[in-house]
Amino acid sequence: MSGVGNRTSNWWTVWGVVILAWAMFPLLWMVSLAFKSPATLRSSAGSFFPSDWTWENFRTVFSDELFTSALRNSFGISILATLISVVIAMFAAYAIARLDFPGKKLLLSMALAIAMFPQAALVGPLFNMWRGLGIYDTWIGLIIPYLTFALPLSIWTMSAFFRQIPWEMEQAAQVDGATPWQAFRRVIIPLAAPGVFTTAILTFFFCWNEFLLAASLTSTNRARTVPAALSFFTGASQFESPVTAVMAASVVVTIPVVILVLVFQRKIVAGLTSGSVKG
Amino acid sequence: MANISMQHVVKVYSDGFRAVDDISLEVADGEFVILVGPSGCGKSTLLRMIVGLEDITEGDMMIDGERVNDVAPRDRNLAMVFQNYALYPHLSVFENIAFPLRLRKELSDEEIRAKVEEAAETLELTDHLDRKPANLSGGQRQRVAMGRAIVRDARVFLFDEPLSNLDAKLRGQMRTEILRLQRKLGTTTVYVTHDQTEAMTLGDRVALLKKGRIQQVGTPRELYDHPDNMFVAGFIGSPPMNFVPGSVRDGRLELPFVTIDLDDELRGRIGDRPLVMVGIRPEKFDDVNLVDPSHKDEGVTFTAQVDVVEWLGNEQYAYIPFESSDEMVKSLDELERELDSERMRNQLVVALSPESLIGNHSEATIWFHPEHLHVFDPETGENLTNSRAATV
Repeated sequence: MSGVGNRTSNWWTVWGVVILAWAMFPLLWMVSLAFKSPATLRSSAGSFFPSDWTWENFRTVFSDELFTSALRNSFGISILATLISVVIAMFAAYAIARLDFPGKKLLLSMALAIAMFPQAALVGPLFNMWRGLGIYDTWIGLIIPYLTFALPLSIWTMSAFFRQIPWEMEQAAQVDGATPWQAFRRVIIPLAAPGVFTTAILTFFFCWNEFLLAASLTSTNRARTVPAALSFFTGASQFESPVTAVMAASVVVTIPVVILVLVFQRKIVAGLTSGSVKG
Repeated sequence: MANISMQHVVKVYSDGFRAVDDISLEVADGEFVILVGPSGCGKSTLLRMIVGLEDITEGDMMIDGERVNDVAPRDRNLAMVFQNYALYPHLSVFENIAFPLRLRKELSDEEIRAKVEEAAETLELTDHLDRKPANLSGGQRQRVAMGRAIVRDARVFLFDEPLSNLDAKLRGQMRTEILRLQRKLGTTTVYVTHDQTEAMTLGDRVALLKKGRIQQVGTPRELYDHPDNMFVAGFIGSPPMNFVPGSVRDGRLELPFVTIDLDDELRGRIGDRPLVMVGIRPEKFDDVNLVDPSHKDEGVTFTAQVDVVEWLGNEQYAYIPFESSDEMVKSLDELERELDSERMRNQLVVALSPESLIGNHSEATIWFHPEHLHVFDPETGENLTNSRAATV
């Protein structure tokens, strides 16, 4: 007979499925292409699922020095930039939330201004500067601009967290006999953990997915990250379309991100939405 | 154990506001001193200056004879219980109480455990040691905050309005527990509250503050029976003291509801002031029918119209409206700047025993003894009938 649910919830389900399909479609297409053999790419016109599943593309991708080194670079640069960004943002945010120093407003406005700056405008000048300094095509050459763009957001996020922690926590710790560093380490940091996670994840995503600077400031395997490397991918031979191999590489690159989100999803949501701390 | 000596302590904020204005106070070793006063009187600021969370602008803060103005809170070895408890939410009750001990690094785990369990037993928290503060009730959180304070063998305990966040019944229970704890440990304690009931029941001595200055320091009984000025008289005691204007004419004191003769001493104290404020506590009145006949002639009776009567079981409050003459109202209006507006209520509150049959909207005859009158100077608020005030 007819369904028990009322009409509104049915509508929501329908819309939910539609939106899910819309969002997931490119992802699924990418996965399906990754498993199709390059030779059959054109011939299997119109079919969504591969006629025969093959790991060939993944083999191609991992045997290519270009890709494996790009993967290594991406991991290294993103993790390093995230670590540095979190540590700096933590100290900066604590100072901004708790202390009153001359130039505080100026500092915050400048951080905001930097975040609003268009990255594309910086590419030319950075290219010249980095070549002059000798850090073109190095890890540090990418980490510095990444930090510059990630830090403002990190500092804003974390200072919002620190502001929500009642000052009485530190005062109680001081009265109990803690030095400011002890109070910070034992009381504030555990309470700010959601903020730290959010900052770390936001920074990591930014660095991992960043394309413009990665493509402009690198030229060899030494420092080229995955998004840039993929654009130079040519496939196993001149006559084969690299599309499927690129898709395979994309799938590989998306996996860490998906894992991170799944593992930390609760912490991310907590970090983004609340930060409620009761005394 | 320590004594605290505050000498001419002043706190001025950067915007020029004088929160604490030249306060000198001595707290003896083992004494329980209460700082009480209305909001904004500087009592919390003074407490924070004792513990070191606020800088001292002028004056000396001496603890055990040592000047501690520039000593950081962690080196003063004082324990504080905050109004909002300030428990560490990410730590269990055990860890919260152990926190100060773990900081010192000189105690072994077993020693820490022994001390924490001892404190927990004193406060009946043994069953809750593994729980997180978020899962505790208000009273339990309060006890954890106290546990954190007592586990350290600190020199002085400081309480910053610890009971304001609790409901009335719990407040009464915790009040007794705090008192018992202090008696048992014998540690010097300074306690801040805005509730005069807590001040009266807990303190060895009470310091009443207003706008950064001490109005009076003394035992609860001294503040109640011999207030130095109108502010103290009106703050201490519930229901508060009745204030009525009185004009002095031909050696007699004219009050809105009765006129009484002045004896020589009182006349001398009042001097040539034409206008005074007279205070009398609600419980000093009596229904004339219930007064012991042998005393009755010593007192003064008057008849008045009772507006409403509140019956509380153990006593009744009768509200008697009165009117002051226009010229008195005019003169007193000018003085109202200094006094709070509640002083100028136009009704008497009379506390009668529950046996009295005075009812709403009835005429009643009320008796009181003139020795219970407090006469205040209307300009300065000074208590003229206070035997000690004569020396000020």
